[in-house]
Amino acid sequence: MEGARRLLREGPKVINVGVFEFFEELRAQGVEATHVDFKPPSASSDLLAKIRKLKGKV
Amino acid sequence: MQRIAVERGTYFDSVTLMLISREIGAMEGVEQVALNMATEANLRIMASAGFDLSGLELGESDLVIAVKGKEEVLDRAISRAKELLKSPPGRRSDSASYFPKSVDGALALLPGANLALISVAGQYAADVARACLDLGLNVMLYSDNVPLSAEVELKRIAGEKGLLVMGPDCGTAVIRGKGLGFANAYPLGPVGLVAAAGTGLQEVGVQMARRGVGLIHAIGTGGRDVKEEVGGSTFSMGVKLLLEDPEVEVLALVGKPPSPSVEGSILDLASSSGKPVVVGFVGGRRREDAFPLYFCSDLEEVAAVSSALAKGLDPNEAREELRSRREEVLRMAQARSRRGYLRGLFSGGTLCYEAQLLASSILGPIRSNAPLDKAYKLADSLRSEGHCMVDYGEDEFTQGRLHPMMDSSYRAQRLVVEAQDPEVSVILFDCVLGYGAHENPASQMAEAVQRARGICGDRVLFVSYVCGLEGDPQVASRQRRILEEAGVVLLESNAEAAIFAAACARG
Repeated sequence: MEGARRLLREGPKVINVGVFEFFEELRAQGVEATHVDFKPPSASSDLLAKIRKLKGKV
Repeated sequence: MQRIAVERGTYFDSVTLMLISREIGAMEGVEQVALNMATEANLRIMASAGFDLSGLELGESDLVIAVKGKEEVLDRAISRAKELLKSPPGRRSDSASYFPKSVDGALALLPGANLALISVAGQYAADVARACLDLGLNVMLYSDNVPLSAEVELKRIAGEKGLLVMGPDCGTAVIRGKGLGFANAYPLGPVGLVAAAGTGLQEVGVQMARRGVGLIHAIGTGGRDVKEEVGGSTFSMGVKLLLEDPEVEVLALVGKPPSPSVEGSILDLASSSGKPVVVGFVGGRRREDAFPLYFCSDLEEVAAVSSALAKGLDPNEAREELRSRREEVLRMAQARSRRGYLRGLFSGGTLCYEAQLLASSILGPIRSNAPLDKAYKLADSLRSEGHCMVDYGEDEFTQGRLHPMMDSSYRAQRLVVEAQDPEVSVILFDCVLGYGAHENPASQMAEAVQRARGICGDRVLFVSYVCGLEGDPQVASRQRRILEEAGVVLLESNAEAAIFAAACARG
């Protein structure tokens, strides 16, 4: 559980993926944080993943 | 009049859609507006709000823009919405910051990162979480609508790597006093929490703060963690971490009752503790205290007992005080009683669950979309029957839509609908504050109460509880004042509000 212990010992340093407001709230509390500008995979890459799965390559 | 437009094959996050809705809703002549990804749940909600969507062929990657109002403004409103979608209103316009497009990129910017807070749409969340675990990050998975099999797999991977996965559907956590997701401004203190219940965690934290006691860590697990299939994986890890942590003097465990085998293994772990452990599985079997375990029936009792233990006081005296206060609440209810149906509209799932538990001991069975007993599940979450309570945070209401703690507009509309039912005498609702929540939830609900009063006059009693603290961004006293000025009766805890509302409706 070392990774989890480190989190409790050091306090959160956060990568926020999704709702931007959560990132702002973290910054407002003085938490070290960065935000990922997430975009869902495009339909074409979804399709490729499905094709790969069908071919048993994943 | 209505006008509907569809943008095909697109994706917008719920916050962007809410901001655009607000701007369109403020246009003169616009009466109602809805911008939603076309999930089945959203289409049902839009239909129940009176939009006619018949004849439209829609898929989940389509965005529906629906506007009602005066004919002359409708085309302009639709065009304006489309313009805003191209250039969404400025959440980030004041910030010149660069935001990476990937977690790897973010880790390069913040190499010491130890946690990923993930709140993307459910269908993408597990893949993002897996990538974060591979990079050695603990995960807090706010997203809901994540398949159970994905949760089991993520927790297996995390267990092998010694990392925490809080969630999915974990709305709140506190690490070293810092709130993640929805969290209130709790003081830092000696209590540690593990909670399979988001608003349960918030309510215990708020009630402890009222008693002058703070939190150091609160580990959220997501509600499904304590079910048989997941086996309490995160809950058990949380208990182990907080039991070994010398800064935690009192440990409190909160949630709905776990499956029997999970509860057994959690209590076995907790029994070995040298420090007190307060067990608050709300709605579970009441047992006698046996050090280190103290068993509680509701969230306020968990807070009262934990606070007493943290201060070195007798927990039974705290329980006695609580009992006297509740008798007083019942006396207060006698003065306001009015026989009829009780309707509850909640943004907090655990608050809804606890309210059903306490109200049903006064009124008998309560129907709900998230009932205590499946036999009392509402056939349609959008249509009330008898005494009933609706949890607007359930997955059915949050697909492609903001959580009601961030936007209560649908709940507010429902409040007005409920007030029109002549058999309804009491409407109960929660108002949850904190980081991540709407900036002024009391106003959203107070406006609805005023509209409802215009219809039902004084026939219906409105009852609420503000789950929040003075240090929260919304400031609890300001939110309370807004509700009081709208004539809402406010109580001091979710439990009190449920008892008061039920006793009033009993007549």
